[in-house]
Order: sequence, then structure tokens, then C-alpha cells
Amino acid sequence: MTSRGPPWYAAPANPSTDGVTVSSVTIGRRRRLRELRRAAPFVLPFVLLFIVVYLIPTGYSIAQSLFKEQRSGLGLGGAQTVFAGFGNYLRAFQDSAFIGSLGRVAFIGVIQVPVMLGLALFFALLLDSRVTTPGRRFFRIAYFLPYGLPGVIAALVWSFLYAPTLSPVTRLLSSVGVHVSFVSDAALPFSIMNILTWAWTGYNTILIFAALQAIPEETMEAAALDGCSGWKAALLIKVPLVRPALLLTLVFSIIGTFQLYNEPVTMKAVAPNLESTYTPMMAALRALSANDFNYAAAQSVVLGALICVLSVLVFRFSAKRVDE
Amino acid sequence: MERRKARLAAAAIAVAASIVLAGCGGGNSASTSSGPVDISFWGWAKYDQAVALWNQSHPDIHVKWEGLPSGGSSGYDKMLTAAKAGTAPCLAQVGYETLPTFLAAGALRDITQYVKPQHDEFPDWVWKNVGVDGKAYAVPVDTGPMAMYYRADLFKNAGIPVPKTWQDFATAAAKVKAANPADRIMNLPTDPYLYSGFAWQAGAAWFGTKGDSWTVSMDSAANTEVASYWQGLFSQDLVTTYPASDASFYSALSKGQIWAEVGAVWEASLIRDNAGDSSGKWAVAPMPRWGTTDAVGNSGGSSTAVMKDCKYPKEATEFAMWMSTNTDSVSNLIATGGLFPASKSGLANSALDKPQDYYGGQPIYQLFRDESAKVNPNWQWGPVMNDTAAALGDGLGKVHTKGGTFQDALSGAQKASVSALQTQGFTVAK
Repeated sequence: MTSRGPPWYAAPANPSTDGVTVSSVTIGRRRRLRELRRAAPFVLPFVLLFIVVYLIPTGYSIAQSLFKEQRSGLGLGGAQTVFAGFGNYLRAFQDSAFIGSLGRVAFIGVIQVPVMLGLALFFALLLDSRVTTPGRRFFRIAYFLPYGLPGVIAALVWSFLYAPTLSPVTRLLSSVGVHVSFVSDAALPFSIMNILTWAWTGYNTILIFAALQAIPEETMEAAALDGCSGWKAALLIKVPLVRPALLLTLVFSIIGTFQLYNEPVTMKAVAPNLESTYTPMMAALRALSANDFNYAAAQSVVLGALICVLSVLVFRFSAKRVDE
Repeated sequence: MERRKARLAAAAIAVAASIVLAGCGGGNSASTSSGPVDISFWGWAKYDQAVALWNQSHPDIHVKWEGLPSGGSSGYDKMLTAAKAGTAPCLAQVGYETLPTFLAAGALRDITQYVKPQHDEFPDWVWKNVGVDGKAYAVPVDTGPMAMYYRADLFKNAGIPVPKTWQDFATAAAKVKAANPADRIMNLPTDPYLYSGFAWQAGAAWFGTKGDSWTVSMDSAANTEVASYWQGLFSQDLVTTYPASDASFYSALSKGQIWAEVGAVWEASLIRDNAGDSSGKWAVAPMPRWGTTDAVGNSGGSSTAVMKDCKYPKEATEFAMWMSTNTDSVSNLIATGGLFPASKSGLANSALDKPQDYYGGQPIYQLFRDESAKVNPNWQWGPVMNDTAAALGDGLGKVHTKGGTFQDALSGAQKASVSALQTQGFTVAK
């Protein structure tokens, strides 16, 4: 921060013409202070909330993750908290259940996120095209509707469709001789992906659609004059122009997948073979309810750091491609 | 200057408040003379009316009830977090299986001296569930003695005698399947706490103490015996495999596709409320025995625990004891919450003699009263039950998909429990 004032602020050319000898540095500092004071009411609520609900809890978790509880014998008098250094992190990286849960959400994400974003982009382009102008309002709401349903309720309804003994789908299939289980160990990740796709495609469609609507009419007109229209125009002109929106939905989706919790927990009622450490969040919560606060904190920090690194990588990667 | 003044004022207020507060909390004997005593109480069972009854008749000790989600859902998490933060209530509803976990968290207070005069109010096996090494940290409220719920009509029509031993039960299981190939005798007990009742009955201990260290014996020979019994019924396709307490399970009960359920006393109302179609056709018989050993299992039950920062442990214990033993209170708990009382005076309550329409007019709680006296007295819960139950539940959940056996589930839970004990610093004896 070596500039005087915010980057968008253009300083007046010559401040020392009224005969008062004040160095330009002091004036700059004063002005900056005045501006800060003016901006404060707008920025402060955010900054305060950010500190209270984000920075402090994160700092607290990191601090907690560096300690552990020490007991002796039967340990019935409670525990002493002692410094553990990176002991909890070492434990997390040797915990096959926790590592397995990370691998599981990565697997789900690698398959589900591209499918969902592909569908969302396709629907958004459809909504944006002239073909759907008459029914646009209806489709926009129809796509968005699943997102309006609370995640737990959606998962509950899907659970009933998956439950081996209650599901009308499995009954119908088995009446024609096809015996499938949506809740076998192998099918579970895909059953979860299906719920996620159903719930979130519409949300992402709306985000991308909003970006499409922001493309100036002239751009598309110019393309049409050059003989580029229809799907070709959509893929070659619209898609590159909504790259920022796609990027945003990609990052949101990665974060959402790593924080997977509602769907598997709800499905556990019909799928007892779903382990209590199925996702990283479930693993951390299990440690928490087992009174293992410090280990839960370490797991949370690992998860948070991983999401952070992935998000940064996505932005880096795409920024590079924009420059080229 | 102004800021400094404000700070001084704040400090003065804080000091004054701490003096006042200390005055209130100082000593147990003095507290009763200084106005009404406030006792907060967290739990999820239907205790609110019993608490109101107490408040009417005891103006000097005011109990404030606060309902929480059930312990397993998040209630215990909230209590333990509050205990860690120093904002815990005076009293908390704590299940027997979780009490040692609370002890290990240092969340409870030793109330042995206050409950000693009323030691005879509860059977010894119940006292053993609210403390370790002869100490008491809670007052028992209810218990979960087990028995066998069965479809009297179906057993009678098929000419199958009601099983008295587990040997009989296996024979009956085969006959049920023979009588109707679509029907089974029971659902596989894959809920870790329901399953614990079978181990409890057989005297197949999971945890124990040996001097100053814990023992874990979930892979013992006794446990293997119980495990292989259920694995055997499953391998011979003699049981259903619905998820525990799932809608599909109750639907099968209601339709008569499952003929019996060996479970705790509190399942009586669950079966009644979720399998209404088969009303009047059910009956209750004693839990099948292992050979000639006349012992019963227990699954569930909870206590009123006094938490460590409670300022009035004596008064809190007095209330807890009243709630578990006073006739009006116990009558209310039975009527509103369907609780099965743990205390001897509670067990004498005439409400338990009522015939139950759903169970064909049988006074089923009389049977549970007799059976509760035969609960195996040698059961000890461990201090890492959350880990134990989660690992066991994960293992048992894989039995029906043939991803593992009962024995695998127990071995997994043994490993998880020992590892949890060791990482949290408990001493584990080999």
C-alpha cells in the first residue's frame, strides 16, 4: 500500500497553490483518513461480522487443534489439556477412515460436478435462446424449484425412493425382473450424486443464465452478421463470455462437495451400511460427539485448508487461461 | 479519561456481582436460608409436568426445565460443550450408556454422600449404571428391561410354542419360515444399543475396570457366542434385515411378516404406535434365556445426573430423588412419558398393573416388573461409548449386505474402543 488513497481515486493535480505550506504527504494522509471515515459505516458491518463469525472461529479451531487431552488411569476426574504440536494432524493423516472420507468426496466431486455444471450450462443456454422465449418464466422457476426445497427434506424424499423395501422404483424394476439396490456399498456414491445433481443443477443454471443475460445484444448481433448463430454462437461466443460465472459455480460446487453432510446422514436411516465417517464432515462430527474436540478441530482445519487450496488452484488455473 | 472511568465502573460492578454470587453459592447449608434456590435441568424426556409438580409443592427449590433434542441427536453434544464452556446446567438427563463418557469429560459431580440414605430405593444393578467403583454421580430414573413381544395369534395358529430359551427361539424361527415362507420370526438386531442388551443378558461384558485401568472385551469368547448365534439365524435366512426402527420395519410388524421382537420395555409403545393394524394380537413373554441361566438383558434407561458446576448439589439431588420415587411424580412419568421406573417405590406404582388393550388386555408392565429384578447385575459401560457404538453400528450395518459378520463388527468395535481409550489417555489393561 504505497499509493495515496484507493486506486480508483484520482488525486487533484496540485494541492499546494493556496500559499499554505503543508507537505503533500500530510494532505494525502488526511484525505485518506477522511475517506476511511466516510467508508467505515459501509464496510464496518461486513468487517465485524467477518472477524466474529469467520476469523475468530478459524483461529480458535487452529489453536484447539494443537492441543490434546491427557488423562491417567480410569480418567474419571476429567482431563488436562496439554500442547500436542502437530500430533492431531499426524493422527488425521494416519486415520484411514478420515483419509477414506476425503477420497470419497473427491470421487463424488470429480464425477458429479462436471455432470451437473454441464447440465446447468446446457439448460441456461436453452433458456437464453430464442426457442424458449414463450415458456421462459415457467422453465426458470421449474429448474430453480428443487433448490428451494430444504436439503434434508429432499434427501428424505429421495431416501424413500432408494429404500430397498419401500421404493416404488425398485419394486417396479423387480417386477420386470431387474433387481437393483440403490443403497449397496457400490451404488451409494452414485445415489448421493443423483440427489446433489437434482438439487443443485437449477441453482447453477440460474447463475449462468444471469451471466448470459448480461451479454450485450450488439455482440450477438455482430456475430450473427458474421454468420455465426445458433449452437455455434452459443459455444464459441456465449460460453467464453460467461466463463467467470462458470468459474464461480465450479468453486461453489467443489466447496459444497467437500462439505457433504445432509444427504449421507439422512440416507443412513435406509442404508445402515453407510459408515459414520462417510464424509470428512461426518468424521469430524463423530470425533466431536466422542468428546474428542481437539481431533475434530484438526480434521476441520485439514478440510478447510484443502478447500482453500483447491479454490485458489481453480482461480489460478483459469486466470492463466484468460491471459493467454 | 471517560473511557477509563467506564472501565473502572465495569470493574466495580464485576467485583460486586462476584461477591453477591459467591454469597449465594457459598456452602450447602447456608443456601437454603437465602431465598429460593434455582436449579436448571436439561433433558428431552417428558419430565416437564413432574418438574411443575415439584415446583408447586417446593417453593424454596425452584427447578427450571429446558427441553433439548435427544441425547443421541445432539443433546449430549450440547451438554458436554456447555460443561466445557462452564455454562452447564445443574442437572442433566444422561443415559446409563453415556454416563461414563460424562465422567471422563469431568462433567459430573460425586453425589454418593447425598444418595447414601436412600441406597435401598434402587436395585444394585441400577446403581452400578450411575457410577464406577461404588460411587454415584446420578439418580436413576428409568430402566429398559427386555422381553419378547410376539404375535400370539400367529404363534397359536401355526402351533408353535412360545420360545423359552434361545435354543427354542432358533427352532421356532425355522418353524415360522416353514409356516409361511414370506414371514420371519424377528428382525436382525443391528442397532448397537439394542444388540448390547443381548450381550448384557449373556454376561458378555464389553467394558470393565481392573484396578486403575479399563478392560475391553468385545471380542471375548462370551461375546463370540452371542454374535455367532445371530450370525447363524442370519445365514440360515431366518430373520429379516430391515434398518433398525425404520418405517419398513414397523410396516412388516404391522402386516404380520415379523412375528416377534425381543426388545426393551420402551419398545412397547413404539410397536403400539407404529404397528396399529395388528392391535390386540400382540402379547409379551419373558426374554428367551441362555440355557438355564435366569438372567435378563437391559437396553436403555437414563438418570438425572448432577453436573460439576452445580452450586446446590444437595438440593439438586433431593429433587432428582423425589422425581424418581415420589408417587405423584412417577405416576405422571408413566402416564405422559411411558417411562418404566427404576426405583423400588416406582415399581410398586399401581399404574403398572393396568391391562394394555394393544397387547390383548395383558398387564404387560407386571411382567416387566418381575423381569427387571432378574437383569444381569454385572454390566459396566465404558467411557468412549460414542466411538464404540459408532464403530459397532458401522460393522453391524454391513451384515445384511454381507460386507461383514457380527464377529467382524465386534472385532472392529473392540479395536476402535481400545484405540479411542488410548488416544484419549486412558489406561487400558491387556
